[in-house]
Amino acid sequence: MSTALTATQPRTSTGSGRSIAGWIGLLPALLVALVAGMSAIDPQFYGIINILNILRNASFLAIVACGQALVIIAGGFDLSVGAVVALASVVTAKTMAAAAVAFPGNNALIIASGVAAGLGCGLLVGLVNGFCVAKLKVSGFVVTLGTMSATAGVGLMITSGIPVYGMPEAFVKGFGRAQVLGLPTAVYLALAVILVTMFAQRRTLFGRYVYAIGGNVDAAVVSGVSIQRHIVGTYVLSSVLAALAGILLTAQVGSGQASFGGDRMMLQSIAAAVIGGVSLRGGVGRVEIVAISALFLTILGNALNLLHIDSRLQPVFLGVIMVAAVALDELSRRRKSRV
Amino acid sequence: MSDLELSVAAKDTGQTRRLPAEWLWSAMLPIALVVLLLGFAAVDSRVLSPANLLNIAQQTSYLALFAMAQTVVILTRGFDLALGPTVSMVSVGTALAMAGATASGHDTTTVLLAGLGAGFGLGIACGLFNGVVIALLGVNPFVATLGSYNIAIGVATTLSAGRPVQGVPGTFSQIFYGGNIFGVPAAIAITVAIGIVLQLMLARTVFGRSLYIIGTNPRAAAVAGLPVKRILVLTYVLCSALAALGAIMMTARTGSGEPNLGGSLSLQAIAGAVVGGTSLAGGRGGVGTAVLGALFVTILSNGMNLTRIDGYVQMVVLGAIVIIGVLLDRLRLERRQ
Repeated sequence: MSTALTATQPRTSTGSGRSIAGWIGLLPALLVALVAGMSAIDPQFYGIINILNILRNASFLAIVACGQALVIIAGGFDLSVGAVVALASVVTAKTMAAAAVAFPGNNALIIASGVAAGLGCGLLVGLVNGFCVAKLKVSGFVVTLGTMSATAGVGLMITSGIPVYGMPEAFVKGFGRAQVLGLPTAVYLALAVILVTMFAQRRTLFGRYVYAIGGNVDAAVVSGVSIQRHIVGTYVLSSVLAALAGILLTAQVGSGQASFGGDRMMLQSIAAAVIGGVSLRGGVGRVEIVAISALFLTILGNALNLLHIDSRLQPVFLGVIMVAAVALDELSRRRKSRV
Repeated sequence: MSDLELSVAAKDTGQTRRLPAEWLWSAMLPIALVVLLLGFAAVDSRVLSPANLLNIAQQTSYLALFAMAQTVVILTRGFDLALGPTVSMVSVGTALAMAGATASGHDTTTVLLAGLGAGFGLGIACGLFNGVVIALLGVNPFVATLGSYNIAIGVATTLSAGRPVQGVPGTFSQIFYGGNIFGVPAAIAITVAIGIVLQLMLARTVFGRSLYIIGTNPRAAAVAGLPVKRILVLTYVLCSALAALGAIMMTARTGSGEPNLGGSLSLQAIAGAVVGGTSLAGGRGGVGTAVLGALFVTILSNGMNLTRIDGYVQMVVLGAIVIIGVLLDRLRLERRQ
């Protein structure tokens, strides 16, 4: 749907480019204000345990949001990421448990097979999404709505909703809960994902073509960009990154659960992308800002918890901030384009 | 209905006559419905029992109402992700208002009016929020309604403290659930009445027609002098008001205000509308597509329940059906062009 819309509604790229530049300044400022305010109110906030907790959770969200951002920049949508996190988690755990029985003691093989199976799930869902959107031309919203339901169903079917145990200690204690130079392993992986995506966005043909497709799909076709291949690529990346987050979550918790991810992770990843300046009209957005906004959302949730704000009321804050962020962006774009 | 959408499409593309196979495409979903029903009946004869058919009709009436609400906004190229949480919020609000009015000793009429007032008030407030943010502030409908999705969930669970709200008077349930008009259960009667009114509105009023024009070509609508912003705000208010009505009917059925009532309704309603042939690109669809889609989704899940298909497998089937439905719709459009 979105690709069709962007095709019929060419935008003024100069206006939105400037407003995004405005955002780059605003979001870190908000982040600093939030951190400073919370540190003043509650010393628990800058305790080492809380900071590690925030960084770990922000890493999971940032990894998923990176993929989501790529899909949105190309003019699509991926509603299935939350379900992929869950499926990758249970498949990884199941495979490791089975491999542990088949090859006792061979940790390298057990872990490799589990991780491969988990990432394989992501690859598969991404290919289905990409195929339906690019080749069959079904709207990305509907396709991923369908695969979300199907993927969540498969995850629950495999486990009957019961957590899966039986992963080797080396995977849980040696990787998932391990710390390198004082930071959880997930943080390094998230940084690697962000840096690679940044590089891809700026310096590779794939990254440039993704912007081109989202910006003006007709122009991209005329310029000889292979639209289908690159759209499939964005959906595959999004699902594989979601699967990676699922595997990391599994390693940290120590069991595979079909309740990981879910609607919450999906909505948060879209919120992170959108607050991070990714335009739902496609063609605009930078992954490093998305990562900052993932950190911002995580800290916001953490702050609301520390301030003892009823967890039931917390979604209200998230909703208001999301709408306000996008409304501000839209208004500043209008003002700029009027000048 | 198909005449209407055709005439719109024909004007749009300059096409003047129907393609011969067009009626076959239009008849496809009804045929699929009958095949589905007979297929399930072959596995379990209870599917076609009068009791179950009535049950299907009653279940469909709720989803059809929500699919109609969703269709109204989808016609204008929008959608309402917040529909489900709106339903939860209205359910909680209605129950709280009635419980409160009962506790302070008002008579039944006042209690019922308080409940309806609170319910529709919350629904309309939610619609106004969506409409203003989308039409006046220019925020993408996905983000705007994702925002109100979170807000409505927060309000619903906070007001109810996460628990079902008791104290819904029996009269309320008797009227909106137990009651019947000439033997037709209340839920079905209300949905049919609303369906007729909505169809007339979409087909015969300036407001209704302008929804199709906005969806088909927003720029043309603005150039033609339609007050697009005002119409869009009204559209989202109408959508949420319909959702509030459905929420009130469902609250009457359960007999309590449920903070989780809406659950996955947003996506189910979108699925119902889309499977029925409403186009997410806007400008195509109506009451007929919403009802057909809702009927299809309900029969599918009712049949799978009766034939004891695992609930998790049902999720997979529903997901596949949604994609196939939209794929067929696209093929149909391509044929037409």
